[in-house]
Amino acid sequence: MKKNIISLIAIFVVTITVSFGQAKKPTLMVVPSDVWCNQNGYMLSFDNQGTEVKVPDYKRAFQENAEVLQVISQINGMMAERGFPLKNMESAIKTLESNAAEDNMRSSKDTGSGVSESPIDALKKVAKADIIMQLTWTVNRTGPKKSITFNLQGLDAYTDKQIATATGTGAPSFSAEVPVLLSEAVLSHMDNFTSSLQTHFDDMFANGREIIVRIQKWDDWDGDLETEYGDDDEELGVIIEDWLADNAVKGRFNTTDMTEDMALFEQVRIPLFNEKGRAIDARRFVKGLSKMLKSEPYEIPNKLVMKGLGRATIILGGK
Amino acid sequence: MNKEIVKISIVMFIAFFTCTISAQRKKRIANKDTQEWRYDIECEGIAKQGSKLVKVWSYSKNPKFAIGQAMKNAVHGIIFKGYAGGGNGCTPFKPLARNVTAEKEHEAFFKSFFSDGGEFRKYVTAAADGNIAPGDRLKVSKREYKIGVVVNVATDQLRKRLESEGIVKALNAGF
Repeated sequence: MKKNIISLIAIFVVTITVSFGQAKKPTLMVVPSDVWCNQNGYMLSFDNQGTEVKVPDYKRAFQENAEVLQVISQINGMMAERGFPLKNMESAIKTLESNAAEDNMRSSKDTGSGVSESPIDALKKVAKADIIMQLTWTVNRTGPKKSITFNLQGLDAYTDKQIATATGTGAPSFSAEVPVLLSEAVLSHMDNFTSSLQTHFDDMFANGREIIVRIQKWDDWDGDLETEYGDDDEELGVIIEDWLADNAVKGRFNTTDMTEDMALFEQVRIPLFNEKGRAIDARRFVKGLSKMLKSEPYEIPNKLVMKGLGRATIILGGK
Repeated sequence: MNKEIVKISIVMFIAFFTCTISAQRKKRIANKDTQEWRYDIECEGIAKQGSKLVKVWSYSKNPKFAIGQAMKNAVHGIIFKGYAGGGNGCTPFKPLARNVTAEKEHEAFFKSFFSDGGEFRKYVTAAADGNIAPGDRLKVSKREYKIGVVVNVATDQLRKRLESEGIVKALNAGF
């Protein structure tokens, strides 16, 4: 009987661990860098009030350049082999376009109304990932000799930190074609890239996910971050800092900016799981702060907006 | 006549026995060198996807044994040592086992893994048919050679095997 109970408890614990023991997996996507797009002529130019602004034309790059497809395909294959299949940027762009076309055509059967979309929703409709693998290569030529300088940077889309890297120049060759040299460059650099990515993940599991938290206020709210609350007349900005200190992993965060209207907290380390063992992201973490501000004695209505796994903003004063 | 045959047989038997013992002794010494992991490893070029082409410099009193031990050393080097980059488009390679105490922690596994005819052989093949370039056979002392052997190590398969044993953490572990 005792043995049965112990076995049942063991099965229960294993089930809980398997069900809730997985952190939110970041998405990765290879994106050609601005430098590469510029050097290869894949840029769009427009006049922004007298200033010429250039933005990369990814769609044309994917339609016209076979080398970029070869490199991305090889990187995707090697990352998939490591259990991290990547988002394919070319497909993501096509999906966005087809979704936009479908949304434009869609109408309600009953009322004929279209799909609701705010200007912010429209802005958010871009190809995105949690970790951007920014890819640059240049072909160096000295007489008949050719070599490839390869640079692959892993960038956290929220903290803007470079979390992984692999860079270097390959051996020069008289006879090898550029695609062969590119293939060699990917083969020789991917292990270093995944190794530095592994270091980042190890740090994340040990010290929590690093996120950014922003606090803003609506124009029409009569309070601000310097408004004092409670018996000890503590400023709202300090109250928020105290909440972060209590809830961040090992109390780790930096107050980068704090004015009466806004606050910016960087390097906020959040746990990967909540007390129920469920994986959490920035939005779920900051939801606790949002709830605290809504409740007594503050009673501040607020809106919580998120951006992927690693960025959350609370706008004080209303929804 | 019969006596002559018996004498020759005895001499031949003693000679054969001595050679065998001597060979075993040399192999034991070579094994001892390998157990102490006395070797150098360097990148030899870009191999096909999932593999590393390395040159392993092993030390031995008999060049013949150094070649055999090189395979063991190569796999050990990929797991625990890594190598610096260099010519031939080589980039630095970090060892598969990131934990410096991994070898001690999984002593039993590695003892059987690196035993003679052990599992390590699945992950390594000799490049250039096991031939040694003239410049890769160096006499470093009166009785010792340093032999450079080029081998191909199937790093992806090796990493997966170590991941399955929990010695190496998979990139997607925890997600």
